[in-house]
Amino acid sequence: MAHAPERPLIDPREVSLPEGHPLARLSLVAAAVGAVVLAAAWGLGGARFYASYLTAYVYFLTLGLGGLVFVLMQLVTRAGWSVAVRRLAEHVTGTLPLFLVLFVPIAVGLADLYPWVGGVADGGHDALLAHKQPWLNAGSFYVRAALYLVIWGGLGWWLRRESVRQDGLAGPRAVAITRRLQIVSAPGLVVYGVTVTLASFDFVMSLDPHWYSTIFGVYIFSGAMVGILALVVLLAAALERGRGPLAGLVTAEHYHDLGKLLFGFVVFWAYIAFSQFMLIWYGNIPEETVWFAERLEHGWRPVTLALALGHFALPFFYLLGRDVKRHRVALAAGAVWLLAFHYVDLYWLVMPSVVEGFSPHWLDLATLVGAGGLFAGALGRLVSRPALVPVADPRLPESLSFENV
Amino acid sequence: MRDAGGRTVWGALGELSTPAELLRAARGLREAGYERVDAHSPFPVHGLERALGLARSPVPWFVLVLGLGGAAAGMALQWWVSVEAYPLVISGKPFFSWPAFVPIMFECGVLGGALGAIFGFLAMARLPRHHHPLFESQRFERMSDDRFFLSVEAEDPLFDREGTLALLRRLGAGHVELIELPAPAVPAGSAEEA
Amino acid sequence: MLVTGDPGFHGVTEVVVRPVEWTPPIGWYVALAVSVSLLGLFGISIGWLIWEGVGVWGNNVPVAWGWPIVNFVFWVGIGHAGTLISAVLFLFRQRWRTSINRAAEAMTLFAVMCALVFPGIHTGRPWLDYWMFPVPNQMAMWPQFRSPLMWDVFAVSIYGLVSLLFWYLGLIPDLATMRDRSKTKVRQWAYGIFALGWRGSARHWLHYERAYLLLAGLATPLVLSVHSVVSFDFAVSQVPGWHTTIFPPYFVAGAIFSGMAMVVTLMVICRVVFKLKDLITLLHFDRMARLILLTGSIVGLAYGTEFFVAWYSGNEFEMFAFLNRAGGPYAWAYWIMISCNVLSPQVFWFKKARTSIPVLFTVSILVNIGMWFERFVIVVTSLHRDFLPSAWDYFSPTLWDVATLLGSFGLFFTMFTLFVRFVPMVAMSELKGVLPEASPHHHGAAEAGHDEGAQYA
Repeated sequence: MAHAPERPLIDPREVSLPEGHPLARLSLVAAAVGAVVLAAAWGLGGARFYASYLTAYVYFLTLGLGGLVFVLMQLVTRAGWSVAVRRLAEHVTGTLPLFLVLFVPIAVGLADLYPWVGGVADGGHDALLAHKQPWLNAGSFYVRAALYLVIWGGLGWWLRRESVRQDGLAGPRAVAITRRLQIVSAPGLVVYGVTVTLASFDFVMSLDPHWYSTIFGVYIFSGAMVGILALVVLLAAALERGRGPLAGLVTAEHYHDLGKLLFGFVVFWAYIAFSQFMLIWYGNIPEETVWFAERLEHGWRPVTLALALGHFALPFFYLLGRDVKRHRVALAAGAVWLLAFHYVDLYWLVMPSVVEGFSPHWLDLATLVGAGGLFAGALGRLVSRPALVPVADPRLPESLSFENV
Repeated sequence: MRDAGGRTVWGALGELSTPAELLRAARGLREAGYERVDAHSPFPVHGLERALGLARSPVPWFVLVLGLGGAAAGMALQWWVSVEAYPLVISGKPFFSWPAFVPIMFECGVLGGALGAIFGFLAMARLPRHHHPLFESQRFERMSDDRFFLSVEAEDPLFDREGTLALLRRLGAGHVELIELPAPAVPAGSAEEA
Repeated sequence: MLVTGDPGFHGVTEVVVRPVEWTPPIGWYVALAVSVSLLGLFGISIGWLIWEGVGVWGNNVPVAWGWPIVNFVFWVGIGHAGTLISAVLFLFRQRWRTSINRAAEAMTLFAVMCALVFPGIHTGRPWLDYWMFPVPNQMAMWPQFRSPLMWDVFAVSIYGLVSLLFWYLGLIPDLATMRDRSKTKVRQWAYGIFALGWRGSARHWLHYERAYLLLAGLATPLVLSVHSVVSFDFAVSQVPGWHTTIFPPYFVAGAIFSGMAMVVTLMVICRVVFKLKDLITLLHFDRMARLILLTGSIVGLAYGTEFFVAWYSGNEFEMFAFLNRAGGPYAWAYWIMISCNVLSPQVFWFKKARTSIPVLFTVSILVNIGMWFERFVIVVTSLHRDFLPSAWDYFSPTLWDVATLLGSFGLFFTMFTLFVRFVPMVAMSELKGVLPEASPHHHGAAEAGHDEGAQYA
């Protein structure tokens, strides 16, 4: 029986960014720029700001949540292949506490976003909203949002902290951390499933409070998976190129596996999206079809078609072959494309319910840059210090030596 | 090549006991310049394809072509039936109800792909082939159990009865033998008809 | 441990081939006799149905879909775990699948056979079933492709065919083993025909591995699509409790859930009867139990989501449908479903339960009972009380409903009993391929038994 190595396999300093690497400084700059842009947009934006901001917020939140579920899944399945890239997802997960702070503009602009805010707005004639009032009211919404964000932030922070702590340990103490992470991962997934389902109903689905779809939580989950896999590919590629700290550790085998999962979840996303569409189309019940009808009119139709093409059809054929998935640059290009279309997906989910007609606005870009700067700043800061690979993970040797079929 | 008894030699067969031995011996044969070499094992041995210099399998192309073809055929069938051959108004849905046609289109695509995989495999592996000289060997029966074999065909330019067998022994084969074919029987009187 | 007792390649061959070569134990004959009797019951039930008509069943108005469709969905669902173990676990490089995938895939084939019988016989005029196939006929009539029942015809048939192809491909090297070991000409000929002349050549393996990988890659979305199509039978309608977008992934999770349970049931019995305890170990059961817990939790999450959204929707018919399930005339069925599906798998949070044969066997039976009841609850409670109270009625099964269901188990177990007698029930070549000795980098006994990372489980 093999034992956990007595010393970490690799010196953590060899797989961290070198001392004085500009990333930490750049992260601060990104965060500062982001904050300024966001403040300006908020100040100048008016009601439209909140719609754009919610889109950007949910975009980066789903990346963080994707990181959380990726880490939990790798831990619960005792996966070996992913250890070399798991720390990158852990860093992304570590940004989750930020979203509690980033929620503030949404809390302030609740009335501009959600029609159900402020009791029964139109003098009690909307029976449906009256019925939903026990759930859809500002007070309980804030409480639930705080609950989701605290749970996610706490879980994300803890998972990353424990994993990073393991870097300095060896032997049975390192194994104990892995065991602890594993024990938490299964109930963690249960909590994840419930909170993400309810949060997707609260944050996004209730923008159109007369509409509902039981698969909505799964849809958000599938998009988040595409997002995080694409982001991990990009992070790995960026840190591996040239003689980066991950060179030699992250190999074509890892890209291949990430590419396979990315392909799989692109297909899964399309399956969920199509199921939701086809069932509502087929039943043809007006209270349900109105949601899709809105997205096929008022200038939204080309966006819908672009989404089907760009989030599914083209990536399907691009990621089908073996060679693209094993090639760092080719796969990274696909990842950038999918990250862009993940934004289109969320834009397509949020905007038609809040604004009239497809009308891209400078605020969309400004909020994306603003929230993005803060997200990138946090992520950069998290990436810049600890090792980029869990050096003391007992499964690391397996991760460094496996080969694909 | 025929020997005195009129029997043709198909090739040489060497038997090894572990995958590592098989791999080493296969590399050794290739390095010695042999080309008509094959290895036989009860399960695929990692690295053997590279050692034997085999090209990548084209089976994926069979799957892709037949898969896309199947999907297209499935959609075409439904389009033709619902729009051209027997249009019916069903709950107000359009004749070309493409969302409703996607499931069958998808299934037909998968069927095409699966048939492509099977027929591609059979075509590339040249199976079924129920009769092969190697089956004459008694020891070869253990190919599907727990032994590993290397075969060199007599048609290889470097093939030499004693030399190839000796090389196989040097490369670690525990047991070597020549695989022979009985010469085809010549029917009486056929020389005139030939 | 993947495999205990260190049998080596030849040991694996001997252990797996033994049930196929030796005289079977008396238990096998008993199992066959019981199965064939139930199969006979199946035949009688179907015969009587075709003679008398669908009125022999309990189907009425408004519950026009009764047990037959519940049984259809039940059997298709069971089949899906076989494909999951074969294809999905292969794609995820889970080596422990090699001890059980052959039997699980066979289970899929037989479950699909049982499933396809029900739509075939329930049409009222089964001799006109050929109308469902797109073949030209003298009435110039074609199937109605917009119906999910047509999608079912294609999906389930193609699923059966692709599963057969996948199972057969995996079987070829093992049929060669049987051929090479045959002591009689008849056996050699019988196995040899289907072994296609397999020689274990590196070229064979090259194309074989690529085909196998691609079939696994095709079978994975196929599994998702087939049970999604089955769920569409209900979800495309406007019936409260049926028309809900979460049905496709929820049904797929439920199918894997019930199928895994059936695999556990079968493997608990087979490993004892056929002395395969060294190949099908407690490690395998631990993994299967975790998958049961995972898929059961997904099903539980779906139940919760449906219930919540039924309220959230404000749709009084939807709300009533769910309250009626939990508190109406079929509440007994609903609570059987909840306790079997949501509560019983929870014991698998504990390792002791995951590795206890009695617990595994009990829970697996309960899960299958629960999943049958889930389909019953979905079909019957939504139909018996939908929009118009004047159309409400109660549904009761008849003896022939029960006989047909029991009889279908006869078909399943007859096929499975014959399978274990004539076909090696463990994928020998695959199992050998994942043993430590199979790696060219293996260095003798020092590394025997090393299953990287498993000790940290």
